[in-house]
Amino acid sequence: MKQEQIKTLIDALAASDLAELEYSEDGSTLRLVKQSASKGVPAVRRPAAARKAPAAVSADPALPAAAAECLAPLYGVVHLQPAPGEPPFVQPGQTVEAGQMLCVIEAMKMFNEVRADAAATVQAVLVRSGQEVDAGQPLFRFG
Amino acid sequence: MFDTVLIANRGEIALRILRACRGLGLRTVVAHSEADSEASYVAQADQALCIGPSAPGQSYLNPSAILFAAEVSGAQAIHPGYGFLSENAGFAARVEQAGLVFIGPSVACIRTMGDKVSAKRAMRKAGVPCVPGPDEGLPEDPAAVQAIAREIGYPVIVKAAGGGGGRGMRVVHDEAALLDAMALTREEARQAFGNPEVYIEKFLLHPRHVEIQVLADSHGNAVWLGSRDCSLQRRHQKVIEEAPAPGIDEALLAEVGERCAAACRQIGYCGVGTFEFLYEKGAFYFIEMNTRLQVEHPVTEMTAGIDIVQQQLRMARGERLSIAQADVRCQGHAIECRINAENPDTFAPAPGRITGWQMPGGFGVRVDSHAGTGYRVPPYYDSMIAKLIVHDASRDDALDRMRLALAETRVEGIDTNVPLHRELLRDAGFAAGGVDIHHLERWLQQRSAA
Repeated sequence: MKQEQIKTLIDALAASDLAELEYSEDGSTLRLVKQSASKGVPAVRRPAAARKAPAAVSADPALPAAAAECLAPLYGVVHLQPAPGEPPFVQPGQTVEAGQMLCVIEAMKMFNEVRADAAATVQAVLVRSGQEVDAGQPLFRFG
Repeated sequence: MFDTVLIANRGEIALRILRACRGLGLRTVVAHSEADSEASYVAQADQALCIGPSAPGQSYLNPSAILFAAEVSGAQAIHPGYGFLSENAGFAARVEQAGLVFIGPSVACIRTMGDKVSAKRAMRKAGVPCVPGPDEGLPEDPAAVQAIAREIGYPVIVKAAGGGGGRGMRVVHDEAALLDAMALTREEARQAFGNPEVYIEKFLLHPRHVEIQVLADSHGNAVWLGSRDCSLQRRHQKVIEEAPAPGIDEALLAEVGERCAAACRQIGYCGVGTFEFLYEKGAFYFIEMNTRLQVEHPVTEMTAGIDIVQQQLRMARGERLSIAQADVRCQGHAIECRINAENPDTFAPAPGRITGWQMPGGFGVRVDSHAGTGYRVPPYYDSMIAKLIVHDASRDDALDRMRLALAETRVEGIDTNVPLHRELLRDAGFAAGGVDIHHLERWLQQRSAA
């Protein structure tokens, strides 16, 4: 799936009355969900039989409707702090740099780092530490 | 004598133990975490008890919860499976103190084998060949340490006495690096295992991983059930196992196997166990003993024609071994592929809902799995979701059968390493047999470079 194609689909969804759009091609599935409260349009690429790890698309300035949420790249348990008792990686109101660690998602004894795609201000943390999160579930909202 | 067994494990091995219990007419109690409430084997058990939240530390690794479950359910024996508390001497002791049967060897045996230095000493005493190097911890005196390493000859490996399974070790190629490596390993061992003792051994460059399955009763009888080769490993995790280990002189194998059985008799070992060896240039070197049932036990079951888990339960019930060494006839060749929920290229874990599940079958094909369509692979535990085992008359026939079986296998909704297995079964090196423990890592490097 090319980025232009994804952009076209985002525009088509934005211009329509639809709340959700799912598109499959060559084993890859793109699901777009419109959120009434948020100006952002989170998108998750979920390859079914394809041999690519699920990737989260977030806060990509290239997209017309700038996604304002960071989504979980995989199903697992989210950790908002490096170790119990330590301060969280990020807090609401804090500005983050591109590449800054936001949280860790634990799956099958492996710890997957989730980092900011671009500089932004954390508006809200949408999950609790230790909570199970689905692939594509919003983790942070950026202002 | 016990008639109800509490299964303190999960996944495919919980189902495997449940089946063995059923075969012997024993009642089963499955102790499970919240994440595993919906698992098929939980519904199949005579009784199921939730022992805690999904995180293993609060359920499968919580001795108090498991013991309480046994008390409430009336189970008189606990099967620990593999991993979790299966080699925890403290847990085994608590089970015994509660007046229950721990399905495994004695606390003393677990303790001796759990400490790599005392295990090596016990094996030397029993005449089992070990890796060159002293069977005692390293002294503090730097000059003495250097003298020991010089006598062994470089490269050497510094290992933690409390380590095992590939953890707590460091390879040293020359004297300049020795003392730093020792200090680092000591510190890591202190933190990771609560035991700073380290020892050194000769580091073998191209060994194979060959192991011997043993079975012993509590009346002083022990037999060995043949060999397995588990050299195909990634990051010390076995990927494909087979029985017997190909291309090893039968007389040598029989000699080592008999030494293992003799060691069991000598240390008063009871139940099933595995002696792990490095095999290089026609010689065996003991590395560690696993005092529990192993993931790869089915390849031995297929070649020996013995239900190892049923035997393990019988031994725990105090029965006399009904198999003499002369009765053990290993026939044909068996191969096992571990099917993991992970990306076949990046090895990223892939928990989630299975939307399509088609496992192979037919003559000589066995699948041990708790998964199926609609099953959600939880993110809290190991990524193994199935074991695919084939058996045939020769190794080449078994390889062909495995290729067909893998071609039939289909899992949808999550990534699995099935495509990786298909590729590995086409690798000329593996097909030829007898590759060393670094073969898979080299193969993966070449693949990513291509």
